[in-house]
Amino acid sequence: MTTAAGVEAPSNPYGPPRLVHPLRGLLDVYLTEMRIAIAEQIQYRASNYFYMLGMVAEPVIYLVVWSTVATQQGGSVGGYTIGALAAYYIVWTLVRNINIVFTPYGWEWRIREGQLSAQLLRPLFPIVEDLGFFLGWKPVVVLLWLPIAFFLAVVFHPTITTSPLAILVFAFSLLGAYLIRSLNQSSLGLITFWTTRVGPVFQLYIAAELLLSGRLVPMSLMPAWVQTVADFLPFQYTFGFPIEALVGNLTNEQLLNGLLMQVFWIAVGSVLVRVVWHFAIRRYSAVSG
Amino acid sequence: MIDSAVFVDDLRKTFFVPVREGGLGAAFKSLINRETKAVPAVDGISFDIEPGEVVGFLGPNGAGKTTTLKMLSGLLFPTSGIVRVLGFEPSRRESAYLRQITMVMGNRQQLQWDLPALDSYELLRAIYRLHPEDFRRTRDELIELLELGDLVRKPVRNLSLGERMKVETAAALLHRPTVLFLDEPTIGLDLTMQKRIRSFVAEYNQRFGATVLLTSHYMADVQALCKRVIVIHHGRLLFDGDLGALANRFNATKTIGVTLKEGTPDLSKYGDVISSEDGKVSLRVGNAVAPKVAAKLLQDLDVADLTIEDPPIEDVIESVFAGASATPAESEVAEPLAEPAAAEPA
Amino acid sequence: MTRGIEPIQPPARPRVPIDPTRPLRLLGLFVRIGALNELQYRANFWLQILQSAIAVGTGLAVLGLVFSQTTALNGWTGSELLAVMGVHILMGGFIGAFVTPNMGRLRDDIRQGTLDFVLTKPDDIQLLSSMREIRIWQTVDVIVGGVVLATGISQLGRSIGLLDALAFGVAIIAGFLMIYCFWLVLTTVAFWIVRVDEIHELFEGVYQSGRWPVTIYPGWLRISLTFLVPIAFAVTVPAQALTGRLTLETLLLAIAFGIVLLIVTRRFFRFGLTRYSGASG
Repeated sequence: MTTAAGVEAPSNPYGPPRLVHPLRGLLDVYLTEMRIAIAEQIQYRASNYFYMLGMVAEPVIYLVVWSTVATQQGGSVGGYTIGALAAYYIVWTLVRNINIVFTPYGWEWRIREGQLSAQLLRPLFPIVEDLGFFLGWKPVVVLLWLPIAFFLAVVFHPTITTSPLAILVFAFSLLGAYLIRSLNQSSLGLITFWTTRVGPVFQLYIAAELLLSGRLVPMSLMPAWVQTVADFLPFQYTFGFPIEALVGNLTNEQLLNGLLMQVFWIAVGSVLVRVVWHFAIRRYSAVSG
Repeated sequence: MIDSAVFVDDLRKTFFVPVREGGLGAAFKSLINRETKAVPAVDGISFDIEPGEVVGFLGPNGAGKTTTLKMLSGLLFPTSGIVRVLGFEPSRRESAYLRQITMVMGNRQQLQWDLPALDSYELLRAIYRLHPEDFRRTRDELIELLELGDLVRKPVRNLSLGERMKVETAAALLHRPTVLFLDEPTIGLDLTMQKRIRSFVAEYNQRFGATVLLTSHYMADVQALCKRVIVIHHGRLLFDGDLGALANRFNATKTIGVTLKEGTPDLSKYGDVISSEDGKVSLRVGNAVAPKVAAKLLQDLDVADLTIEDPPIEDVIESVFAGASATPAESEVAEPLAEPAAAEPA
Repeated sequence: MTRGIEPIQPPARPRVPIDPTRPLRLLGLFVRIGALNELQYRANFWLQILQSAIAVGTGLAVLGLVFSQTTALNGWTGSELLAVMGVHILMGGFIGAFVTPNMGRLRDDIRQGTLDFVLTKPDDIQLLSSMREIRIWQTVDVIVGGVVLATGISQLGRSIGLLDALAFGVAIIAGFLMIYCFWLVLTTVAFWIVRVDEIHELFEGVYQSGRWPVTIYPGWLRISLTFLVPIAFAVTVPAQALTGRLTLETLLLAIAFGIVLLIVTRRFFRFGLTRYSGASG
């Protein structure tokens, strides 16, 4: 409250504290979560780096398999030469790291350890906390990724053609991919409120994602009907689109269209998570608290 | 009429628990079929607490204390009954409500494990949208009150259990809540730490005028802090009133300690002899006759010292829970001790 | 970690007469206990079945995709690749049921100093710590892998002779033991370095390379996947036995390498034990 002189009066030290504006508060939460994420993850940098290295196995296997196919088919498959495949899968490793989000197993742990109760007593949507926290570490991830990318490039000789616009769209698409995957896995994670075994549903989700997102192969190698199905789902905007935005030689129209689709799927994901949360909380508060 | 801080009317909570027997055969059966049993955790409780009161909830494990507290904080939905805290319905978990309450559960924590508490405090500041200046003042005051000093700069995982408890308690109060739910706040702590926490709660209640609901099965917590006590057993309210009156309501006896100038006679005709040695005899006599017995002892014997005491309150509570019958003295609001109803299998 | 003091010797153990059936009887005991434990968690079975179904489905989809673009991968036909997939899943089941649970527990015991409980038992330490944890429900994968393998083989149209079956059996056992040795070596490192969890995680990723015959990998990678992480011996070689590609040299190499690994691993493990300082650390 302000006095007549326009100066903010100190609050009563024994009364309720003054609040800041909600928007500023939200920004504050994100920035603080990011600081905390970095401070915490730095302490586990060795373990984190090992994890990043381990994740390279998957795309390398795909790359070798499809390069073999390409060689046998005269140098390219589905429009991808071996060099283009290498480029695809190397960028893949960055997108994969950006895609690391809070999994349903994390929700299981959270409920079991009683952390969820503490969060429920606070006036902030836990999903918002998660989004901020996992996003916070990503800038460091990009830095850690560079040496890995360099090493892979030396071994697998990618051919890269890109443009400044493509790089810009790529950067935005990374944020979009992160948000879409985050929101969807949060909705999945909320299933843990009904069952202690969310494993099967999550496995199905990952299997679908593998085939429909461009995680396994560039989508142009998939049969036409699969590509059509994928167009109606958010998966390809978490993997394939960001990768192709950078190294897939997309037209400006395709780049813009992809970004818009990402925005659409972020909106859908947000609504879905809100709805599921409403029911999840009712369930939690009926059963365990 | 003052608006209550906490208003509860005929509150009930029933859980459905799966039932399974041991053995391989039953294990296979449970693969297909699953039975549940209804367990009433809270079975019709009503009370009314005014702002600024410090109320203790006493009861053995499983009595329904924690369940009640969880319903008051909004973590658990009641099966039936009315709950209002500060005029809000806790289950709706409105932001304005959550800002005014806090719950401290003895062995659970909310702080980041690997970071100093100060960092977690900053996060809480952001989450509660606290004005930086107000936040800093509250934080520094809490650090001083709890004598935290440099503890807040060390990673939480490096702190001892007691230190962690203190640091978590400070975290829970950064937003200056007006209602505190403390669930077994001193569990697992050593005596010094227990005393520290108790004096802190009293101080906080004095300074900020906060309403405090405290559950414990440590009598000392309740004796130190609470004028008013609510006794819960098998989900029912056994007693609601003054701590001293609790003893009167449920205790039928007094202990008379007689020290004689010489000899150790047999005093069994005066009352139940608890102990008798070296000229000191302890007698248990009924409340009503205690003054008369005391007078008679002074008259009949050569008495050096005579004391009349209540038995320790722990014993009183224990006998309450053991189902000892109470004398039909002037009653408070309490229900008479009743046999808990058997739970119906589902 | 030894703080400049003499490393503690494992406590002197009572001389028990060597009973050759002991390992087998121990195994039976642990299987029974494991089963009793696991049956409590009915969900585990359904979970595992579902998980395996999804893995098989995905694997088939990938194979189908590859063969929509080409007729053979590095000389391996679709049915042969199906056989490889079957062996991969089958071996994965064995590993998941008998190896990883034990190695995980051993790692924890070393880190927390609770290995003392194993050290004071009269049985051989390596045997005990390799057998006591069994995840029975993972054997669902063995069955699933077996079915996939059988399907692939039947599509090949060639008959499986006794010699082939024998070679397959030998190759599977040799491969399994080599993977076990690899895991035990990794876990033994825990006697020196406290955090080995990540190395264990790495294995899961590397094991996926066995889904395909290691012959498709470029030279240096192929050699690593044969002698560094014995994926080739665990998956490709047994598959070769049933698809008529196995040479006697390879089989003998598998047996020889397996024996060498077993000896080296045991020596290394016992060396690691001398570094174990117990719960006071």
